[in-house]
Amino acid sequence: MSDRVVRERNLVVRHSVVELAEHWAVALSGLALLVSGMFQLPMGSRYYINSVPGLAWSADFMVSLNVHYAASMVFVAASLFHVVYHGLRGERGMIPRRGDLKTSIEVMKSFLGKGKEPPFHKYLPEQRLAYIGMAVIIAMLIVSGLVKTYKNLYAPDLSYTVVLWATWVHNVGFVLFILAFAAHIGAIVLKPNRPMLRGILTGAVRLDYAEHRHPLWIGEIEGAKPEVKAEPPETAPDRAADREEAPAAVEAAGEVPAGSQDAGGKSAAVPQEPDEAEPGCAKPRGESPPQG
Amino acid sequence: MKTSDDKHRLSRRAFLKTSAGAVAASGIAWPQKAQARGAGNLATLIDLSLCNGCPGLEVPACVAACKEINRDRIPPVADPIPVPWPRKTVEDWSRRRDVSDRLTPYNYLYVHRAEIDVDGAPETVFVPRRCMHCDNPACATICPFSANHKHDNGAVVIDQDLCFGGAKCKAVCPWEIPQRQSGVGIYLHILPDLMGNGVMYKCDLCHDRLGRGQSPGCMEACPQKAMLIGPRDGMLAEAERRAQQIKGFLYGKDENGGTSTFYVSPVSFDRINATMKKGPGRPDMKPGVERQMAGTDSLGKAVLAAPAVGIVAGAAGALKWLSDRKARVEKDGEKDV
Repeated sequence: MSDRVVRERNLVVRHSVVELAEHWAVALSGLALLVSGMFQLPMGSRYYINSVPGLAWSADFMVSLNVHYAASMVFVAASLFHVVYHGLRGERGMIPRRGDLKTSIEVMKSFLGKGKEPPFHKYLPEQRLAYIGMAVIIAMLIVSGLVKTYKNLYAPDLSYTVVLWATWVHNVGFVLFILAFAAHIGAIVLKPNRPMLRGILTGAVRLDYAEHRHPLWIGEIEGAKPEVKAEPPETAPDRAADREEAPAAVEAAGEVPAGSQDAGGKSAAVPQEPDEAEPGCAKPRGESPPQG
Repeated sequence: MKTSDDKHRLSRRAFLKTSAGAVAASGIAWPQKAQARGAGNLATLIDLSLCNGCPGLEVPACVAACKEINRDRIPPVADPIPVPWPRKTVEDWSRRRDVSDRLTPYNYLYVHRAEIDVDGAPETVFVPRRCMHCDNPACATICPFSANHKHDNGAVVIDQDLCFGGAKCKAVCPWEIPQRQSGVGIYLHILPDLMGNGVMYKCDLCHDRLGRGQSPGCMEACPQKAMLIGPRDGMLAEAERRAQQIKGFLYGKDENGGTSTFYVSPVSFDRINATMKKGPGRPDMKPGVERQMAGTDSLGKAVLAAPAVGIVAGAAGALKWLSDRKARVEKDGEKDV
């Protein structure tokens, strides 16, 4: 865990470089898989997509299969890396907890203006539920995709039952992946969630946002270890391992948007009131557009 | 003067006629029930020196038998056939079911007549054409709905209840064998204007008949016994033996990565191919045609290795982290002491 508060910059480090790399490897390869998978349907010629400049390959099944395979290598390796790496480190923050379903319904109601959000840990309950949902879909796609690849290479006469199962698990997974992808993008478009976009782009979110909406997380960080100064002494060897994992963006001068420093100062000095959570958390002080 | 392709033709014909009985007796010529049911891949041999195109018949016997067996295969076609959007391709053979000189959704076998000039002497070779039932058929492996599959008896079969008629199988087949009939199939019940366009049809090696211990209809009907079916190894050995015997030529062993159909010919396939003008429903016979999907095998193998790469990298990263943490804890402990 590289989570830490950098109060001088009004930031909380939320994701390590490794986590950002995992997320974007899966996201970008997943997008390439969606597109190349659609071209396998086949759609390139039927819908004249191959007439679009630069997309003539969309009607060439061998090219789109090679694109699909190349993206699969990244997708499969990154997904399994994620499970093994975080599994061995004992990181369970995204595993659903008791009551997540009920709480996430309350949160969704609050998006519609009914009731207030409860205080959050690092992740929202629906993020934990969505994580498991996405993990199941990705597992479906990977297992069935590997069976299909093995069949393509070595066993065209594999049991027809196995081939049909793999095919339909893959095709259903494809549709679910599109829906989950759309829901994922839809969730980040919701105003209260927007500050988290910065987290997945740079690794850090605004401290005032986090104190406001994720007080349980901030409590965990501050209870667990001392706050880190913006420019910690170079001679702090015991922090070296964590610092290696912290996104470079947080360290970079000028990364914090103008105005955030002031906002951070205020945020640190003035305790947040729960009432400000809605809609205050959507427009906290020192608001600047999400990065990226 | 005869070329090397043709000089042994007459003696070979005589030899084959006398040896046909011995071959049949050995069990190669006719599929026994045990051979047809799960006894491994079957293959077929088409001997062009024996096929005479059935002179006197309006339609060669093999073609007529095939048409009769598959006469009611295609269900009634929607009227009108939905016009797909945006590419408005409609392929309707339902009013031309009698066509027998090319592949159509209603005709899975035809006989090409090759007029070849052998050193000034005209020779006629008849070449029955149908699906080759490839060893690793791209048409089946690349089907997005697995409507097309290579069964363990070697037959490559399209399930017309699962096929959407996207014609991808035709695009990846070097001989463009599968033929589409629009207006039939599962797509009619989903989004006929936007998705799918009918059903693809081709020879299925009489898969149902094989399951009942019968041989394919075309072979049973051939008066010349020019076509054989049996276990793949035996068929290949027989094809090679015949080709060697006549110093002839073999087609189908290596083409498209290997097939389950072996043509034996006294005339080279380059010459035969030169008489074929590739067009819709009329495949050519280019020797050594390559398997398109071979170009994707390398990345496919890398995909199969990807899980191991991810697991090893994840374990290495986590173990390094655990090791660093342990070192930190020990160092902190020393400081505390």
